[in-house]
Amino acid sequence: MAVIDVAGLTKRYGGHTVLNGVSFSVEEGEIFGLLGPNGTGKTTTVECVEGLRRPDSGTIRVLGLDPIGDGRALRERIGVQLQHTELPDNIKVWEVLDLYATFYAEPNDWRKLLEQWGLGDKRDARFGKLSGGQKQRLFIALALVGNPKVAFLDELTSGLDPQARRATWELIKQVRASGVTVVLVSHFMDEVEELCDRVAVFDRGGIVATGSPAELIDEVDAEHQVRFTLMAGAADDPVALLSGLPGVSGVTRDGDRVSVTGRGDFATAVTSALARNLIPVANLRIDKRTLDDAFTTLTGRSFHP
Amino acid sequence: MTVIAKLTTVELKLLAREPGSIFTVLIPLFILFVFGSSIPPGDTVFLPITLVIAVGLVGLYQLPTTLATYRERGILRRLSTTPVRPGSMLAVQLILQFVLALTACALLTAVAGTVLGAHVPSQALRVAAVFLLGTAAMFAVGLLIAALAANGRTANGVGVLLYFPLAYLAGLTQPADQMPDILARIGAFTPMGAFRQALHDVWAGLTPDLLLLGVMAAYAVIVGLAAARFFRWE
Repeated sequence: MAVIDVAGLTKRYGGHTVLNGVSFSVEEGEIFGLLGPNGTGKTTTVECVEGLRRPDSGTIRVLGLDPIGDGRALRERIGVQLQHTELPDNIKVWEVLDLYATFYAEPNDWRKLLEQWGLGDKRDARFGKLSGGQKQRLFIALALVGNPKVAFLDELTSGLDPQARRATWELIKQVRASGVTVVLVSHFMDEVEELCDRVAVFDRGGIVATGSPAELIDEVDAEHQVRFTLMAGAADDPVALLSGLPGVSGVTRDGDRVSVTGRGDFATAVTSALARNLIPVANLRIDKRTLDDAFTTLTGRSFHP
Repeated sequence: MTVIAKLTTVELKLLAREPGSIFTVLIPLFILFVFGSSIPPGDTVFLPITLVIAVGLVGLYQLPTTLATYRERGILRRLSTTPVRPGSMLAVQLILQFVLALTACALLTAVAGTVLGAHVPSQALRVAAVFLLGTAAMFAVGLLIAALAANGRTANGVGVLLYFPLAYLAGLTQPADQMPDILARIGAFTPMGAFRQALHDVWAGLTPDLLLLGVMAAYAVIVGLAAARFFRWE
């Protein structure tokens, strides 16, 4: 069953079209990503779904509810972590969790969330004294304190160091494991590849593709490379041999280093050709294709301008 | 515990932890002691001045700075994603800031009436009416600042910029009868000036001028409506 159904969503601000017919659906129990560079309408989309903004046209159903008409009922069932929000510096961690728990009819036990999100020893600390990672964990705990069916997390690892990001990813997987559907807004490719079951790729006010990260990568069939070093004693020059293989679009050689460029599954052809011709090589590396490549192919521009 | 009760408890704790709210009580108390030790017994001028200073500090600094900061930090926006409306937070803040102003004034009156021998009027109803109207007028100005200021810092700056000319025109920095006549007349049409004059009237045992009450009511309603019209939650 689809937990979120969005069809034909449009939104204009002062003559400028921010969203132009956005449609997608999110299934129960998945982590769904809205991926794209800043300013492509991801946050506006998710804010329409949360009922914070009113779309100009299009229909939205979240858990069967209309975010504007059934706002109050919907807000009981969703948890939201917003980009760029703070809390009063002087509020203590336990106080804000306890306060937010009273907002909901059937809240989670905030004491358990406190432990689960590693904030047990920060119970009495004031918000202003927390580190960036601790604040972020508190915001996620706050998004979950109402015992939501769907959690919306917007740029949850912005400003975190790599270690804290990895730790946060593990916790998000636990959230899904507990049965909560997660909608993740992100401009980090690695985050989306790691976490999301399915992704909607945004570019300039619309979705250009939807699918699992692996599907998106396979679909676009971007050019990638196989690299290796020729070992001493390799008698033949492999350039001519490899250039003729199916899928290969170019071979360059610099001393004993060789780089083969191509599309599709040309790497298998390259390695078997080398083996067949008894050409010994070392340091064989197949460059992994990423969502970055997929994005560039889908939109005709680089993800990071 | 109901949401409003819990919200009030937490916001009250935050208010008590905020140095600004302690200063709004301490500054007028300090002025009362420094300048009040030389007042004649039964004085009816000085205590109303310190009361207006206290209400002005809450209305022009404390209230707009708190609300503009809450909006700037996205606290009101975050609330609007929960079943609780951000309007509840606004209501709780208004109540608490009113209680802060009331506490400061009660403390000032108690201290001035006992230790300094200042006059304390016995017509409680008139005092309450003037206090309510004056506080409503000052809070309306504070709410308009909160509505228009982009962030807490701007709200604070605008509060300071407004406070001193208003305090001067209101006759808080020097007695109104020593001010140029035209300025004293203008002062009666400012929220602070009308408040000070009306309080002084009550202290002197007079019925406060209806014009002064009208001025305060007009500020409360017109400026209050403008604040409601321009207030943004984000």
